[in-house]
Amino acid sequence: MNDALAVCATGLVKRFGGHVAVDHVDLAIPAGTIYGVLGPNGAGKTTALRMLMGIIDPDEGHCRVLDHDRPRAAGDHIGYLPEERGLYPGMKAREAIAFMGALRGLDWKTGRGRAAELLDAAGLGHAADQKIRKLSKGMAQLVQLLGALVHRPALLVLDEPFSGLDPVNQERLEALIRGEQARGATILLCTHVMAHAQRLCDRIAIIAGGQRRFEGTVAEARALLPLRAHFVPKAGDDTVRALLPADAERSGDGYAFTVPDEGMEALLARLIEKGHGVAGLSIERPGLHDVFVAIVGGNGR
Amino acid sequence: MTGRFLRQTLVIARRDFTAIVFTPTFLVFLLAPLLMVGFAAIGGVGAAQLADGGAERARIVAVLPADEGRRFAAADAALRGVFRPGEAPPELIVETAGADPAKQARSMLDAPARHVVAVLSGPLAAPTILYRPHGERAATWLGEVAERALAGAERRSAPRRVALAAAPSADDGRQSTGFGAVFLIFFLTLLLAGQSVGMLAEERTNKVIEILAAAVPLESVFLGKLIGMFGVALLFIAFWATLLGQGLMLLPDHAALIERIAPAVGMPLFVALFLIYFTLAFLLLGAVFLGVGAQAGSMREIQMLSLPITLFQVGMFGLSSAAAARPDSAVGLFAAIFPFSSPFAMAARAATSPAILPHLAAIAWQMAWVAATVMLAARLFRRGVLKSGGAAPARH
Repeated sequence: MNDALAVCATGLVKRFGGHVAVDHVDLAIPAGTIYGVLGPNGAGKTTALRMLMGIIDPDEGHCRVLDHDRPRAAGDHIGYLPEERGLYPGMKAREAIAFMGALRGLDWKTGRGRAAELLDAAGLGHAADQKIRKLSKGMAQLVQLLGALVHRPALLVLDEPFSGLDPVNQERLEALIRGEQARGATILLCTHVMAHAQRLCDRIAIIAGGQRRFEGTVAEARALLPLRAHFVPKAGDDTVRALLPADAERSGDGYAFTVPDEGMEALLARLIEKGHGVAGLSIERPGLHDVFVAIVGGNGR
Repeated sequence: MTGRFLRQTLVIARRDFTAIVFTPTFLVFLLAPLLMVGFAAIGGVGAAQLADGGAERARIVAVLPADEGRRFAAADAALRGVFRPGEAPPELIVETAGADPAKQARSMLDAPARHVVAVLSGPLAAPTILYRPHGERAATWLGEVAERALAGAERRSAPRRVALAAAPSADDGRQSTGFGAVFLIFFLTLLLAGQSVGMLAEERTNKVIEILAAAVPLESVFLGKLIGMFGVALLFIAFWATLLGQGLMLLPDHAALIERIAPAVGMPLFVALFLIYFTLAFLLLGAVFLGVGAQAGSMREIQMLSLPITLFQVGMFGLSSAAAARPDSAVGLFAAIFPFSSPFAMAARAATSPAILPHLAAIAWQMAWVAATVMLAARLFRRGVLKSGGAAPARH
């Protein structure tokens, strides 16, 4: 694989009428990583994914997927869970998984065998011979995910995989994604739920308004915002506010503010010098959620 | 067509085939011809009863002097013998003429309760026949009976009648076979190819279309659906061919019946040509319907599309039926050349004409049209699916 890139997209553009859904987006996804494409609803994530998989052609730009210049040519090595879930309700769970494998080049017999293994591993062994229409929404969603995995793809594309799942199944899914990465697969995860991205992703791209606004590791994204401090004075001491930085805001029983450029030491020294007591102090790196809100702002779409 | 494309196509075909065949509703579908024949029979009996009811009530009347009345009744009875039951003219009532036969006749015709459609009055040598517009044929009949009644008085001997065995007409049998071939292909394509209009509805409803579109080219989806449906069609044909074939063998005079069917090109070649023309008709019409159906975004749109499609099929049936009766007429030649009626018309021609060469030309011609139509319809299908399906790019 070229410099170990599973996906290399340059200058992707897609227009629908006068609307530019994806505007010169570049993506370089290292093989073996979990890569998050984050963005608000309507940001152009799904359109970008569809171009990466060859469902629709870009108006401009180029995609190279798993060393193939045409994404379709790599189709048998890609697993895909679309945002809009879809299964034939009359099919049995095992058959549905085998069918999705067969679409990707896996023979039916092997597909059925692997389907049974995957269902067992996901705790759905009892539902193998149940028709999809009899399964709960969460179970059907897991079946569809297993269908995306059954042919052991080199690239797994998951569009909003956690939506509609309860917390237990969300944890199961996170474990499953990590398991796929451990197997050697590259995972392209499309979501607007930052908590999952922060826990799972090695690298992320934030897309808003059809444009890529950020690309890098989660740590790099979090480093974009300054550290935040939460200071709790001793009870009843309201005079401390005057000594804190200008952006300090009431937060619970204390104050939240951006850690000054010179650090906390000088501030703490001033507080002690003026005789103020410190009941608590914590310094935190802002989460991906904050970074996302700061980057996307109010013009995300 | 690469191996991968073919494999993907067959996966789709297999799914569609099993999804249709391994369901209880397929049994209803398989027995659809019985239901159609049953409904047609019920409708036919009802219509016949209505017609018979009207005919049974109708009367014709002869107002004549007593001796002429007897002669007239005898002539009517003699002539009536040439008709089969149900085809005879209305029942005759002979009334003895009074002082004013013309007035008597008019009053009978004017009495609605008597259902009189024509009245003959006056002496037989110069009769007057009154009739309503719907009694024109009855009036003609009264005139013929009057002629016979007069001639009967002078006739000395009855005509000699010699009964001969019926000479079988090979042309009649072949034309019936030709019409039967047209009807069968029409019926099968109506039943099966027409279904392809709504075949995408399932994928759209279940949002499966994006899974398919991501995994395989939409051309594979298109061809797979067509092939899957064709597999169902072959199963359907095999079932009914076996059933009817076995049923035919149970008939006491099945050999004579088979001989009467005798198509001009011979039975084995006729069967082969029938299957080829059915396949081509199915692929041609199925591809058009699938391509057109993919443009529909909802079940309501699909239902709206179904009517013109069915009318189009009926039109092709009418054209080809006319061609079956007169294959060398201008209509017959047009039906044989026009791509959408050509399979029907040529199947009929196989029954009526022994020439093989036109079939080779027609098959090549139709195959070219099938290829062009499938390619064009596949593009339409792709555009329709991506425009209005679950994989709509407008959603982003």
